[in-house]
Amino acid sequence: MTLESARQRAIALDSKTERQLADQPLGPPKEVFRVIRAYLLRRSEETDQRNNLYALLKIYTTNDLVQIDLGPPIDKGPTDSHFRFDSGARLCFGLTLCGVEDGSRLVAFRYHYTFPDGHSVKFLRFDLNDEVHPDPLAEPRCHLHPGTKDLRLPFSVLHPIEILDRIFFVLEKAIAEKG
Amino acid sequence: MPDFESQPFFQIARRLEIRGGTGWLVVLNPAGDFTTDLNELQTELQSVLQKPVRVVELEPSTFEQLREALHDPDDDAVVLSGGPGLAPEKWRSLDIMRSAMERSGPVVLWLAPTDVANLANFAPNIRSLIGSEYFIAGPDGGIMTEAERQERLKELSEHFGFTDEVAVRKAEAGELPHDPEFVEWLVLLNRGDLV
Repeated sequence: MTLESARQRAIALDSKTERQLADQPLGPPKEVFRVIRAYLLRRSEETDQRNNLYALLKIYTTNDLVQIDLGPPIDKGPTDSHFRFDSGARLCFGLTLCGVEDGSRLVAFRYHYTFPDGHSVKFLRFDLNDEVHPDPLAEPRCHLHPGTKDLRLPFSVLHPIEILDRIFFVLEKAIAEKG
Repeated sequence: MPDFESQPFFQIARRLEIRGGTGWLVVLNPAGDFTTDLNELQTELQSVLQKPVRVVELEPSTFEQLREALHDPDDDAVVLSGGPGLAPEKWRSLDIMRSAMERSGPVVLWLAPTDVANLANFAPNIRSLIGSEYFIAGPDGGIMTEAERQERLKELSEHFGFTDEVAVRKAEAGELPHDPEFVEWLVLLNRGDLV
């Protein structure tokens, strides 16, 4: 049980992530955009906040890739472009898709969920890098920043909607129950 | 053509949802690619209404085929596509089967603008199903504007402390990190080839 064997396991984990991404069927980019917008619209209606998804969610298309964004590219504090929760939490995210045949595959994503003021952990950020890092033990391709940008822990939830599921039905629920 | 409201598919689908996911409405395709737009309408309806959406072509369908398509099943959403335009005779025959076309799920008539006059003149019974629910397919929302793209690029540049040009040079040299913010930066610079 050495550091080297830990690195080998981290390499294997990144390989598994690669396979999961390749095996994950996503619709064409515009369809993914529409599905996310419909999902967020439904979630927004369950809150008392005015989140105008029609204005908040943006898509940018190039020849090769498609970028879907909500909120600022870097979270530096609350803005009108964030998705706002009743708890006082906020969310911004960006995901990059590559069109393939009849669908698309995930290239990268960043979901930055900021807890309400006073919470011991300030934020959680779910990241997917576009490539493996030379040190996959320190920086797995798919990782979670638990309130600090320098710490990256592996996680395996990869579908764009599944991550939103965790944010809306796990994180927000936990805050609501805590009161 | 009367001055109908232009709405993106998203808002049209929302309108149907707010009405309880039932009823009839007309969406007019003003220009563009009839088939591509129809696919996008179908996807948007499916995403918002959270139910299957079938497209049924009006033109080749017989009375029996149409009745069966609308009632088996009866509760999904159906887009009745008129294609490039329907003849007055077709509208007359559709109008006769109005009661056979009533169903619990929503119906969207996807028509060419020139169909409106024929619908009004030769299918008064169907017109009564629709009421005033006519829309022109408007531009889809959510497209990032040039000003928004520039603003995001500016935020990225200020945050990381180097310019767009340097970001591209770093990517070309394999020195740009692979975090999602940098991927977005390259995409917004139309340099997806470097990702």
